[in-house]
Amino acid sequence: MALRFEELIERHHDEIFAYLWRLLGNDGRRDAATDVEDLTQDVFLRAFDSFVGLRPNSNHRAWLYKIATHCAYTQLRRIKHRRDKLSSLKHSTAELEISISPKDMEQRVRALVNELPAKQKACVTLRYLQDLDYPEIAQILSCSQESARANVYQAIRHLRLALEGER
Amino acid sequence: MTTQKSKNEVFVVKHLRSALGSPMETALSRSRERVNKWFAEEAPLIQWGEMSSPLGPLFAAVNERGLCALDFGRQESEFLQRFDNRTRLEKDPKAVQRVLVQLREYFAGDRSSFNLPVDISQLTPFQRSVLEVACRIAPGQVWTYHRVAEELGRPRSSRPVGGALARNPIPIVIPCHRVVASDGSLGGYSGGSGLKAKRWLLRLEGAL
Repeated sequence: MALRFEELIERHHDEIFAYLWRLLGNDGRRDAATDVEDLTQDVFLRAFDSFVGLRPNSNHRAWLYKIATHCAYTQLRRIKHRRDKLSSLKHSTAELEISISPKDMEQRVRALVNELPAKQKACVTLRYLQDLDYPEIAQILSCSQESARANVYQAIRHLRLALEGER
Repeated sequence: MTTQKSKNEVFVVKHLRSALGSPMETALSRSRERVNKWFAEEAPLIQWGEMSSPLGPLFAAVNERGLCALDFGRQESEFLQRFDNRTRLEKDPKAVQRVLVQLREYFAGDRSSFNLPVDISQLTPFQRSVLEVACRIAPGQVWTYHRVAEELGRPRSSRPVGGALARNPIPIVIPCHRVVASDGSLGGYSGGSGLKAKRWLLRLEGAL
């Protein structure tokens, strides 16, 4: 029997929420958690609208991740735009410095991850936090497996170099 | 080389996992509740139930407008497969009680017509008009496909009439079994066990 939408929510809500939270909820903004909740709702709303056209033998999980990634990219662009605007204002410098000068290691890693290009951030999150394999990541990001691997490699390399410099 | 590479990777991944970690359970459950609440408000509710009948297991489903699906002599999964997979399906015998009571009376020979709200809004206007004509055929009578087509003012549409009757989502209650071929044969029947069921229903109503 074809998968029903309520089963889709039941099976995948938690991991989609966690994925969005990892992509967007860790950058120290006060409204980050609310953003992630709004975005999760948006992902399921979009999924609901196009669920009927989905083939029964499709990979529903990858399809949902794909929608989530699109929503996250849009939100990341908005946040970046807001930041760029803020950083051009002198009086906001102090506030920004707090978020990019973290004291402990976890904060530092979070800041480094948030500096990664969106695709590298998505790739490394899908691979090491969501534990997806490369064929699925390639499907989600509409790219080749080689490209997904290369993005993960670049992200890990960047993080390693930055962290090693601090050891 | 590989060992060094994987060591570096393990070092970074360890920090990544600890830094990005997992969301708090409170935030997670708040979001889960919100999505489920939205879905409950957004998705149409379909409640269904089943009973045993002389024609095999019989399933009936209602939505907010009325009886929207009925079938018999099939598996439960086959019946449920017909619904849009975005609807909320709930097995609720109480919701279909009125339907099942009238069907029991019909099978016992104590009822010849039904007094139930039905929903055939999913069908095309032509299919709906064919089924509305079928509802005018009295129990114990049979009409030909041609006569139904004539009633619709489309005397050359016997075949499309047959097609529309075959898509009747509520057989028995909308009595498509009362339409037969002009050559005296039974024509077709898509409910339950096909022509065997059609013959059984027409015998019950005294038309055969």
